[in-house]
This record gives sequence, C-alpha cells and structure tokens, in this order.
Amino acid sequence: MTELILSVRDLCVDYATPNGLTRAVKNVSFDISAGEVLGLAGESGSGKSTVAFAIARLHRPPAFITGGSIHLAGTDVLALNDRELRAWRWRDLSVVLQSAMNALNPVLRVSAQFADMFKAHGISGKADIRTRTAELLLMVGIKPERMDDYPHQFSGGMRQRIVIAMALALRPKLVVMDEPTTALDVVVQRELLEEVAALRHKLGFAVLFITHDLALMSQFCDRVGVMLRGQLIELSTPSAMIADPQQDYTRRLWASIPPLHPKPGETLVRMKETPQ
Amino acid sequence: MNSLPELGIRPVLEARGLTMRFGSFCALDSADFSLYSGRALALVGESGSGKSTCAKLLTHVLTASEGHIFHAGRDVTNLTGRKAVLEYRSAVQMVFQDPFAALNPAHNVEHHLTRPLALHRPDLSAAQRRDAVADLLRAVDLDPAITLRKYPHEMSGGQRQRVNLARALAVNPSVVIADEPTSMLDVSIRLSVLDTFRDLKRERGIAMLYITHDIATARYVAEETAVIFRGRIVERGPTAQVIDSPRHPYTRLLLAAVPEVGSPFGEGNSLAPLAAQVRESCEGPGDLREVTPGHWVRFAA
Repeated sequence: MTELILSVRDLCVDYATPNGLTRAVKNVSFDISAGEVLGLAGESGSGKSTVAFAIARLHRPPAFITGGSIHLAGTDVLALNDRELRAWRWRDLSVVLQSAMNALNPVLRVSAQFADMFKAHGISGKADIRTRTAELLLMVGIKPERMDDYPHQFSGGMRQRIVIAMALALRPKLVVMDEPTTALDVVVQRELLEEVAALRHKLGFAVLFITHDLALMSQFCDRVGVMLRGQLIELSTPSAMIADPQQDYTRRLWASIPPLHPKPGETLVRMKETPQ
Repeated sequence: MNSLPELGIRPVLEARGLTMRFGSFCALDSADFSLYSGRALALVGESGSGKSTCAKLLTHVLTASEGHIFHAGRDVTNLTGRKAVLEYRSAVQMVFQDPFAALNPAHNVEHHLTRPLALHRPDLSAAQRRDAVADLLRAVDLDPAITLRKYPHEMSGGQRQRVNLARALAVNPSVVIADEPTSMLDVSIRLSVLDTFRDLKRERGIAMLYITHDIATARYVAEETAVIFRGRIVERGPTAQVIDSPRHPYTRLLLAAVPEVGSPFGEGNSLAPLAAQVRESCEGPGDLREVTPGHWVRFAA
C-alpha cells in the first residue's frame, strides 16, 4: 500500500467569471497510494468535484487549471495532448459520476456499449469482447446473459453497476467516483459500495471518492479529506478525524449529521449555508 | 397511550384502502393512513416502493384505482369540476424534491411568492401582498431584504427549498406533502431545513406527509413513521418506536443500511446477503397487526 499512484501538488483551478477569475481550488496537494480509497468531502461549492474533474482532465471552460501538477503512475497528466489523453483515460483512470447510469445510451444494447469502449482502446475481436463483457458483468453481480438487454430493462442500481463494470474494464489504476450512489436509495447504495470495496481488494485499483455524506465516507474510505472554499483543510483517517478533528469547521461538519440514534443530551450542529 | 382517534381528534387527510394499479402492476396496495393537524407522518421506502404514487394520488395528479381519500371528513376521491380540484389543491400543497427544477429561472423570489397570493387571495391589496410575502420569507428563515430580488441561480439549494416551502404556505394550506425535500441538499444543512418544516407544521397546524428514503431524518420531523415496501405499508407507528424497536425485516434492513459514522464496511457487517433475503421473503400480502399500542406490523399471510 505504500506505492504512490497519484500525486497532486499545489493544484489551482480558476473559473472565468464576468467579474474576473474566481479561484475554485486553492493550492490543493495530496497523494493516493495504490489500492487506497481516499474520500474528499465538502459542501456544495467547496471545490471537491472541481478537483476530481481536473484530475481526469474533464474540466471545461470557464474552468482552467492555473497552477500545480498532477502525476498518475509516472504520467504527467497536465502535459498529455488530446490524442494521448484519449488513450490514457479509461486505461489508467476511469470516472463514475452521480448520474452515470443515465449516461448509458438508451437505444443501444449494453453489449454494444461495452464493444464501443473496447474498440476505442484497440480491442476488436468479437468473441473476445463478449467474453470480457460477460466477466465484467458477473464481477458486479449482473447475469452475463442479460448483456443484450437495453438499459431501461435494468433498475437504477443495476445500471450503476454496469457503469462501474465498464469503468473497471481496462484495469485502471485509479477510479474517480463523484457521488456515485447519491441517486440511489440507502440499501442499494450500501450493496454497491460493499461490492466496490471487495473489488478493489481483488483488483488493486485506487479510488478517489467524492461525496457530501461524511458518515458514508467514514465507512468506505481509508483516508478522508475535507474541503472548504477551495482548500483542503484537513486530511487524515476517518477514526482520527472523528476522535480529534483539527479544525472547528470539520468538527461542526461531523456534528451536523442527523444521527439515527441520537444520544441523550447530544447537541447537533445546525450548519449555516454558505451562500452561493 | 390513547391514539388520536380515541381522543376524538379527527384527521385532516385520510387514506383508506388506497390502491393504484398501472396495468397489472400494483404500485400502491390498500394503503391506510391519517394525517393530523400540526403533526407529520413520514412515509419511508426505497425507489419504486410507491411513495411518490401516494403523493400523486393525494394531490389528484392520479386518480386511485380503489380506495378513498377524505379531506376534513369529506370524500374527495373523485373530484368533479375544475373549481373543486383547484379548491382541493390549494388546501393540499406540495414541496418537490428538486429545488432547482421547481423554481422558474426567469423570475425572482418576489414573483414566485406574489403570484400564488394574487391568484388565491385576490382580496389582498398590493401593500398587503407585499407584507404577506415578507412574512412568508421570514417564516422560512430567509431575510426578505436580501432574498426578495434574488433569482433562483443566485441561491443555494437549501435557500431555494425554503422558497418552495414559502410558496406552498402562501395559500394557507391545511396539508403539505413534502416529497424528498432534503435529498438533493448537502447532509450538513438538512437538519436546519427540516427544523423549519417541523416548526412551521406546529405553528400553523399543518398536517404534513414527509416522504423520504432517509429514515434517519424522520425522527427530526415526524411524530409517526410508516415504512413502505413494494407498494405495501409494512410497519407503522410512533417514529421513535419504529426506529428504535423495528419489527419488520425490511425496516431492519433499511435501518442497517443508513450510513453511520465509525462503522467501516467489511468487518463482518456485509449487508448484501440480508438484503437479498429480505427482498425475497417480504414479497406478498399479509395482515397489519398491532404489536404495541399504535405500532402496526405486517405479517406474511
């Protein structure tokens, strides 16, 4: 677990607005080890998704990376040209977004969508593609005989599993998951993340997990970072952060989670919204 | 403890045997529940369980296949005529899940709140309307001076949801149906938004149906909770009892899946086997039986 896979140094991302540049990510630095699950938590607008998008080079104007460096498994991510980027994405890094399940093409069979992805990365044997697709679906708990079904024939949770299977197809070193279960209900969310936790032990990929749900993050992640107004203000293991938060904001964020079984006399914090 | 009917308190809105079929699919099967003034019932269940169908029936977006809805003792299952439907809908208001989609991006907050007042309370003068709008904003903990001229994109999700609540309150409803009102908001601000719902319900004597898949939040809003699974209410009772002493296997599963600080996955606590077992065993009809006063659980037939 000590081999570094991702290294982010002094990352700055600016948004161009009518009133000039607004800094959305301010000198953020962190590392992820091979096979590690790192969580980034924060409220809407804290910059956590902007960090994830920058690492995958998915940011689009008006967002611009204005400083710092990103290295993934020896590759200088910010130096990749468009052609290199297309080969690099999915092979070294893949992305699962909140509504990824809705990104499946509704008029194409699931098998055809897997085939598209394999062909884009130079795997073209028909039989090979079907075998690989079957293995991937089985891995996320979907019967391979359903590969020729259409997306609408699966539930939301199953579609999200299909997208995760697709993200793991080329054995990437890092999977970026931005609120991957927010659109699902709690039971399905739990089943899906248990599956991902088991798979990363089996396959050894690392995960950058973005969510606003600190409780969920504490259950799923090896380390947790908290973002506030573009800065990474605290980074440690969930148990250390729960026991001894270093920042007042972090402490209040933990105390604002509605507990299922509140302890008598426990004070819950009512967070004030940061206006946009 | 005496139940509310035994104390002679009549429900504001009542569903009896409420059933909705789409072709051969039964989305809601003989649901019975009552909403009382100043109190909230949380309706908890997963996607596709029938929660939103319930909301659509109660707001007359859909017409029930079977069963009855009573409002203030009057059977409102089949309303005829536009006037009757409009009257009913101003008494039974709705707050939707998506605070972004529910507001018109081209209009400011003042417009959103003035319009329902102009439509439903034509007796108010312009000056009275301005006062009423300011009162509504203060009631949902927003500052009229700051908020009035803002457009939806200038506000956060929580602020927008407060505006949606204010708009629902503008017509003085007796019932508010809130369908997942905080599920698109940050976890950190859910409590403060739910506080506003809870306080207004008490102060204005509103009967509330709080629809959610997040059972952990039910305790902070609702006196009573009903758990719904595949179109059937499987457990119903005082919220604290349902959460602290759940009896139905599905309720237990739902509670076990709620993310909890400091209990990491994979230490012999895998939920997937239990989930598979519960989904299989809890299919099919059964009878609701009262296990302790006011606490009802469905037992397989």
